Amino acid sequence: MTSKGSRLLIGLIIGLAAGLIYGWTLRPVEYVDTTPDSLRADHRTNYVLMVAEAYASDYDLDLAQMRLAALGPQPPVDILIEAINYAVDHDFNRPDLETLNLLAVRLRSIPPSPEIGGP
Amino acid sequence: MKRGGWLPLLVGFALGLVVGLYYSWVVNPVEYVDTAPASLRENFKSDYMALIASAYAYSGDLVRAQARLSLFPDPNPAVTLSQQAQKRLAMGRPQSETQALALLAAALEDRPPPLASTPSQVSVTLPSPAEPTLTPTLTPLPPPTRTPTATPGAPFELLDREKVCDPDLHAPLIQVEVIDAAGRPVPGVEVRVVWDTGQDHFFTGLKPELGLGYGDFAMNEDVIYTLQLTKSETLITRLMIEDCVGDEGDLYPCSWLLTFQQPALP
Repeated sequence: MTSKGSRLLIGLIIGLAAGLIYGWTLRPVEYVDTTPDSLRADHRTNYVLMVAEAYASDYDLDLAQMRLAALGPQPPVDILIEAINYAVDHDFNRPDLETLNLLAVRLRSIPPSPEIGGP
Repeated sequence: MKRGGWLPLLVGFALGLVVGLYYSWVVNPVEYVDTAPASLRENFKSDYMALIASAYAYSGDLVRAQARLSLFPDPNPAVTLSQQAQKRLAMGRPQSETQALALLAAALEDRPPPLASTPSQVSVTLPSPAEPTLTPTLTPLPPPTRTPTATPGAPFELLDREKVCDPDLHAPLIQVEVIDAAGRPVPGVEVRVVWDTGQDHFFTGLKPELGLGYGDFAMNEDVIYTLQLTKSETLITRLMIEDCVGDEGDLYPCSWLLTFQQPALP
C-alpha cells in the first residue's frame, strides 16, 4: 500500500471512531417524545398497576382498555398478564397483586368480538 | 511531513467522520427502549399524571402518588395537576378523572379534600414504596385496612348572594365560593348551571390562584340561569346580567357572587 493510501486509511479509521463516539456518546439521538410502549419494565408495570387502581376506583372498563392500549398493540389481557408476572417475580405486595388481578379477571370476562365473516 | 502528506489523512478523517455519524445517527442509533416517564410526549405525560391522580383516588396513598409524580421534573406538581384538571374538564374527559386530579392537587397542598365520591371519605392504609419503581417488599403484606372517617356533612346552603360591580372583570361571571363549616374553602365541588337552551357544569378549586373554593361561569346577555351545587338541595334562580353604573355614569354588566357554606353538624 502506498504511503498516501495508508494515510487515507488511518484518517478514515480515526474519523470513523470520532463519528461513532460523537454520535453514540457525546451527542446521541435524543428521544424526548417517547410513547408509553417504550417504558422500562418497572415503569411499564407501574403504569399497568395505576390503570388497575384507577379501574378499582371508577370501574370504567372502556377507559382502562383505552389506557392500556397506549402500551402497544397487544391485547389488554396479555399486557395485564405480563405485568402480573413481573409483579410476582419482583415480590409486589398482595394488595397490588389483587388490584392487578381484579382488572385481569374483568378483562378476561369480556366476550371476544365476533369475527367479521363473508356472506 | 510535507503539506501534501496531510491531505489524505484529512480526507480520510472527514470521510470516516461522515460514515461514523451516519451509522450512529441513522443506521444504528442509540435505542431508547427502556425509557422513563419523564421522556414521554407531552400528551402522554398528561395522561400519565391523570393516571397517577386516578390511582391516588383509589388508594389514598399520598406518599406513593408523590413518588410517582417525582418521576417528572416539575417544581410545583399541585399547580400542574390543577391546570390539567381544567384542561381535561374542557376536553370533556370523564368526571372521575378531573375530580381525581383536583383531589390530588388539594392533597399535595394540604388543602381540605374535595367532597367528591372518592376515597376522600375513607382513609386507606397501604404500604408505601419509597421508590416509584415499586421496589419489591420481602414479605406479603396484609390487605389494606379501610377506616371510615367522618361523613362529608350536611348539604351546602346559600350563605350570601351578592351583585358584583367590578369593571375590571373582562366578562360577566357567576362566581361561586364554597366553604365548609369552619370557613375553609372546599375544592372539587361540582356546580351545575342550567338555562333555557342548555346546561353546563364546573368545579371549585380549578383556579387555585383565585381561591381553593372558587369557581366561575361566564354569563351571556339575555339568558336567565339557574344554579345548583350537586351537594346542595338549594336552587339559585334568576341569575342574569344586570347593569352596573360606573364612576362616570357609564353602564357595564354585573357579575354575581354566591357563597355557599356547609352548616355544622349538630
